[in-house]
Amino acid sequence: MATRKKVLLKVIILGDSGVGKTSLMNQYVNKKFSNQYKATIGADFLTKEVIVDDRIVTLQIWDTAGQERFQSLGVAFYRGADCCVLVFDVTAPNTFKSLDSWRDEFLIQASPREPADFPFVLLGNKVDLEPRAISTKRAQQWCQSKNNIPYFETSAKEALNVEQAFQSIARNALTQQSQSVDLYNEFPDQIKLTNTTNRNSNGDSCAC
Amino acid sequence: MTDLTVDYTGKYKQLLLDLKCTVEGLLVAQVTNVWSIYGGLNRLYNATEKVFKHGCKAVSEDTTSDYWKFIQGLEWLQPNNVKTSPIIDCEYKSHIPQHLKSDKAAVWLYRSIENHSLSQKLSWLLSDKKHVESCYQQQAFLCQEKYAEAVLICLRSVERNHPSLISEINPCLFLSKINEQKYQKSHRRCSSFPDSHFKSIQEMKHHTKMIHQLEENVRAIDKDLRKQKFTGKMKPWNSMPNLSVNANSKKMTNQSRTTPSTPIHPRYLGKSKTQFPPLKASMKKARPTTSFIKKKVRHVIINNCDIIEHTPSESAWTDTLSNTSVKSCSEHKSPLKLNTSRSVPEYSFLTALAGQKDYRKQPKKTFIEDGGMSVLPMATGYFPRPTKGQTLTAFLTSSQFARSNAELDRENAHFSVSEAMISAMEQIRCKRDFNFADDQVEESDEEIMNLKQRIRLRRRQKLEERHRKMWAPSLSDKKADTTTTEASVSPLSTSPETPSHSISSDDVDDIEIDEAANLADLSGLSVSMASLYAESDLFKKPRGAPDGASDILSAEGVALSLISRFNEKQLPRASDLEWLVSEEDAPQALLPLPKSLPISPDDYEDCPVTPLRGTQEWAPPRPQIIFTPHPRPRRMQLMAKQNYRCAGCGMRVAPQYASRFRYCDYLGRYFCTGCHTNQLAVIPGRVLQKWDFTRYPVSNFSYRLLEQMFVDPLFRIFELNKNISKRSKNLVLSRKYRLGLHYMKDFVMTCRFAETIQDYLENETPYLLNDPEVYSMLDLVNVRSGQMNNRLKCLVEMCCRHTSECELCLARGFICEVCDDSHIIFPWQLRNVTRCSKCKTCFHTKCWKSRNESCPKCIRLYNRRNS
Repeated sequence: MATRKKVLLKVIILGDSGVGKTSLMNQYVNKKFSNQYKATIGADFLTKEVIVDDRIVTLQIWDTAGQERFQSLGVAFYRGADCCVLVFDVTAPNTFKSLDSWRDEFLIQASPREPADFPFVLLGNKVDLEPRAISTKRAQQWCQSKNNIPYFETSAKEALNVEQAFQSIARNALTQQSQSVDLYNEFPDQIKLTNTTNRNSNGDSCAC
Repeated sequence: MTDLTVDYTGKYKQLLLDLKCTVEGLLVAQVTNVWSIYGGLNRLYNATEKVFKHGCKAVSEDTTSDYWKFIQGLEWLQPNNVKTSPIIDCEYKSHIPQHLKSDKAAVWLYRSIENHSLSQKLSWLLSDKKHVESCYQQQAFLCQEKYAEAVLICLRSVERNHPSLISEINPCLFLSKINEQKYQKSHRRCSSFPDSHFKSIQEMKHHTKMIHQLEENVRAIDKDLRKQKFTGKMKPWNSMPNLSVNANSKKMTNQSRTTPSTPIHPRYLGKSKTQFPPLKASMKKARPTTSFIKKKVRHVIINNCDIIEHTPSESAWTDTLSNTSVKSCSEHKSPLKLNTSRSVPEYSFLTALAGQKDYRKQPKKTFIEDGGMSVLPMATGYFPRPTKGQTLTAFLTSSQFARSNAELDRENAHFSVSEAMISAMEQIRCKRDFNFADDQVEESDEEIMNLKQRIRLRRRQKLEERHRKMWAPSLSDKKADTTTTEASVSPLSTSPETPSHSISSDDVDDIEIDEAANLADLSGLSVSMASLYAESDLFKKPRGAPDGASDILSAEGVALSLISRFNEKQLPRASDLEWLVSEEDAPQALLPLPKSLPISPDDYEDCPVTPLRGTQEWAPPRPQIIFTPHPRPRRMQLMAKQNYRCAGCGMRVAPQYASRFRYCDYLGRYFCTGCHTNQLAVIPGRVLQKWDFTRYPVSNFSYRLLEQMFVDPLFRIFELNKNISKRSKNLVLSRKYRLGLHYMKDFVMTCRFAETIQDYLENETPYLLNDPEVYSMLDLVNVRSGQMNNRLKCLVEMCCRHTSECELCLARGFICEVCDDSHIIFPWQLRNVTRCSKCKTCFHTKCWKSRNESCPKCIRLYNRRNS
């Protein structure tokens, strides 16, 4: 256990433009919030070190552009992702409707080995705003239909649930990574390590 | 005695004013013989005599006037030409006033005035200072050079029957010591005539001063140089103006228009050579620094010496001046003129010759910015038309006048406008004469005339006194002013034709001269002059200010200042006047518009004016972009088609002289030698179709147009000529580079790890990266020379290196969805990557082809949208 290597977890945040992807990331990483809207160009990432189940992991959080007009840039960074965060705006029904296409597109471009088991997390952002357009129930139903995706209702502005959500994201990502390594035996050295973490994280993830 | 000088200036003013008023009175009627105006000769004689008598030293014996001795000076000054003793013949004696007959001097003066020789004689007399001093006291009127000259001007204007000459009198002579400099040279006659000789003295003074300044500078910079080059007396003004033209236009702008060929515009060349920092900016920065200015001054002086060698005699001055003034006008179009005028202030009078608007001050626009509208042909035959009922002022200030018209049209406008103004004045006078007809009394009696004259004089004296006391209050105290002036000093009232007007104070409405005019009168400016200086012009108006009323020296500007003296009510409507622009000269019906322009005749009502005019036989050249070369011209055929008219100005030529016309390879027309000075230019059509960069002679209009569009991205060369890629490998290569850069810039410009490369890309012209298919003529020239490719290659390599290493750029790359190979591909890998034109996703070219070029992502998007 003493020779644990540092783990890099790649998390991709997806969702329509203006739902608060960048804000969530900023709130989580920098603990800052700005009311001003600035469209993200292409994709960019921030990193943050977190402790998940007594392990130090580095989260590489990829914030993406929700707008179609930045499509001249590619999405090669989907490859190798450990977790995908889908974000919608609880006051804007359209952002909820397009979740399916975001999920599909991600699975195609990232082409994970086990698409059905790939960890997604759904965040319903802007719960501080009224009126609600998407009820918690409706969002949870969608999650159930997609193989029990964890769902959090957050507010990047009020820093509500953000920490918890990302904790869960990190845990899921860690699970995913250890599983994939386990399954494909790509790095024989790491088998021992991942095996141990595997057990731990499995136990935790069941609680969600 | 302390107020002696003040008193004297008052007296001078008075004397001059009397004389001038008399002269104006004589000239206002514009009769062929001024002496046919009753009492005119007598009055002029009286005014002149007072001038001659003022401050005269000698006391003569018998009845002869004191100034006889002065006159006698002519006998030795001009012994051949003049006999001072008048031959008093019987015929002459008959109408000479009785009291003068015994006075030799008076008779001489009277006679000289009558036969229009006094100004000549007086100028001879005045030319000998010593003689003048020996006959007159120091404070005498004739000893004051400025006033003496003013008298000469008055006399000359009578002799030549030319009222506008009076305006040459320096207006400061009438002002009480308001700073003289302000008014010097502010006025220029309103035409395209060269500057009058009266000013040259002042100008020379300025030049000498300037030369001294320059000399000082040079001394400070380079003593040795000065020793070598400036030994001996400089002849300053010989070369100053033309060297400033040469030095500056060549040095500063790197191009002069009349030099027929500049290989490729050096300005642009310079830019493309120094790859990244834009030349303009560096010039701007350099300008204010003293070193730069000094350098320039030095250059100027060196040239100066050279030129002095060529023009060794001082007498050459006038010729050079007049030549350059004409030449420089057409030649000097430097946008850096401001700079020039700072260092060589007098230069402005050369460029700013009468009546032309100073377009140079405005930054030059490119073709794309203004559609070539700022490139004007010599003539368009355009003259604005007043709408029905439009007032004269409204018409003259309308935007139709303010717009920039062709040079020749602006010149011609002077004719039409002046004719119209004359007819307007005539109408006003005619109306006025009708009104006066009732109370016109026979006043041929000399006594009554004299009486009136005296009353007028006294009133004026009073007025001036009051005016002197309270200059400021009089401005506000309008009532007092109007009541006094209307009855006295309006110079129109001195006109002998309308003597009653000055007395009758009840017809104020008739000629309503506004307060400003009163003011001008009070300060000694008469209407004839004040009208030329609208009060605003006197005090503030800078030349060439691009406001609604346009240039003060343009046709409409002069007209406006003339009519500004009159009440709007009196002026006839603009539409009632004859503008002397016949329908034939400028048919107001539209010329057939090109079919490609979708303008329905109904819409036309809203359009203010079409800038395209012409006649039945000729239309001005339009600022076109021509993509195809013209077929080889057949002169006689084409000339016949052009109706033997110059395509530029419409000038007709006899068929036998058609061979003198010059072919413009751009427009494919023949031009007269005025509109075509054999300037050479690269013809876009020939480049696009034949990759032929030979420079061909073009008309001046085309040259300016081509120059203007030289840097504009106007040519999608691969669309215009499908076969062009066969002609130039460089072009094909540059197309690839540009397409690659077009894709790369999306990655690099948004990458936070690529700031240095971003700077390089930002220095490029935006269209070069944004629109990779479009080229300017400059680009094509650079492609041919290989410069373009070197530059692009450099950028491409830089970007490639970055994107292959940068984590962020790699993350933004593509993964081929078809083969699912994890190797990242980029759109600029043109050889093996294809990009979907709709969703911009990239695939391996072979994968793309295997899918029959149907994009899987687009299909998904389509399905999702429909479900």
